[in-house]
Amino acid sequence: MQAYAAKLINLIESKAENIAKQWAADVMKHNRTPSYHSLSKDLVVEQGVNFYRLFRQMSLAEVPYEEAKSFSWKYAEEFYQQKIPLHEALYALILMRRHLWLYAEFQGTFVTALEKQQAVESLNRTILMFDYVSYQVTEKYQQLTMEGVNKKLGIVKTFLMGKLIGGMKNTYKLAFMAVLLIAAGILTYYNHTAGKVVVFTHLFYIPIILAAVWWGKKGMLVPILLAIILIASHSLFLKDAPFTDDVIRAVMFIIMGGVVGWLMDSVKKLEELYEPFKL
Amino acid sequence: MMKAFASKLVDLTQKNAEKIAWQWAKDVKTNLKTNSYHDAPEEKIINQASEFYKNFQEMFFHEAPFQLAEDVFTKYAHERYAEGVPLHETVYAMILMRRHIWLYAEFQTIFSAEVEHRKAVESLSRTILMFDYIVYIISREYWKLIKMELSKKEGKH
Repeated sequence: MQAYAAKLINLIESKAENIAKQWAADVMKHNRTPSYHSLSKDLVVEQGVNFYRLFRQMSLAEVPYEEAKSFSWKYAEEFYQQKIPLHEALYALILMRRHLWLYAEFQGTFVTALEKQQAVESLNRTILMFDYVSYQVTEKYQQLTMEGVNKKLGIVKTFLMGKLIGGMKNTYKLAFMAVLLIAAGILTYYNHTAGKVVVFTHLFYIPIILAAVWWGKKGMLVPILLAIILIASHSLFLKDAPFTDDVIRAVMFIIMGGVVGWLMDSVKKLEELYEPFKL
Repeated sequence: MMKAFASKLVDLTQKNAEKIAWQWAKDVKTNLKTNSYHDAPEEKIINQASEFYKNFQEMFFHEAPFQLAEDVFTKYAHERYAEGVPLHETVYAMILMRRHIWLYAEFQTIFSAEVEHRKAVESLSRTILMFDYIVYIISREYWKLIKMELSKKEGKH
């Protein structure tokens, strides 16, 4: 350890709790750190004590920047989890540094001319450490924010079936949908001409849901088309059978397609909203 | 009292604003922690710093430095945000801005005599206070801008 910084570092380590208490009292009522006002005092003091104790470790390291990382990242994670805004977390760090120095001054650590020279060196060293911590905390906090956004977007993407059939090109989607619609037409024709009344129309929900997921409200065209196919086929081949059941089915296709389409449009908007914050 | 102690550092900074700004620009353009500045036009970033160094005196001796810093650095944060500079890089560029004041002063050995170390401590403390305010204001403004961008998009939808 550099001789000039030893005095301050020893003071910090031995009086970590006292300095942390003073810092906690300040940060818990400071108008630039309102998020700390409602935290438990023990928790805040503990945060300060840990910081001041680890300060020695950082000061002793050959590459303090690297040593500071594990320490800064842990703090950024804590701030992030406690939902403390970054500018308040940074200001709390600033106050941590300030209290360290205030305590040293109050204790009259640097009195003589030689000690004043040591004070400049110690101050420079302390500032350097805090500069590293401020930078790393800011970087990590932003990274955590972006990871949070990406995680939420991951859920949205799963919902949009992004990794599965949702990733298909639009031409393939259109072709696949055309095949499904033709199949639905054949199925309707076959069942109605054979006079069968089995509930085959449940299968129609496959193209309806897919269309809603892919094209949102625009996908409404698919349930409308299927409803037309069903009613037209009924009126051509099942003239004697009552219309009620198929009308209800046709209406349900449209309602289902509309609701899912509207939901999917909202999900897509959400994705667009967070797009700039993706990693 | 403060004026007497710190005037040496402030005078030096103001008189040599261009030189310090140039050294800062050289640093920020190659520093690994300020990637966004690497491709920025040198003249533009030198101007950023020299403007700041020239106004340093006013901020240093102002009765309400936080208010003054708020006026100046709210705009600064908005500009950097619009340029797409990430907050941690903006913060580090500010840290370097502060470091270069001190490096220049040390290089010029303005605080060489024993008695002047006291002045050095005072000047350093005051300089740090200014930059603490600046970092706080910039990070707060970035936070506001991100929130504003989100609510603007929400409004559109």
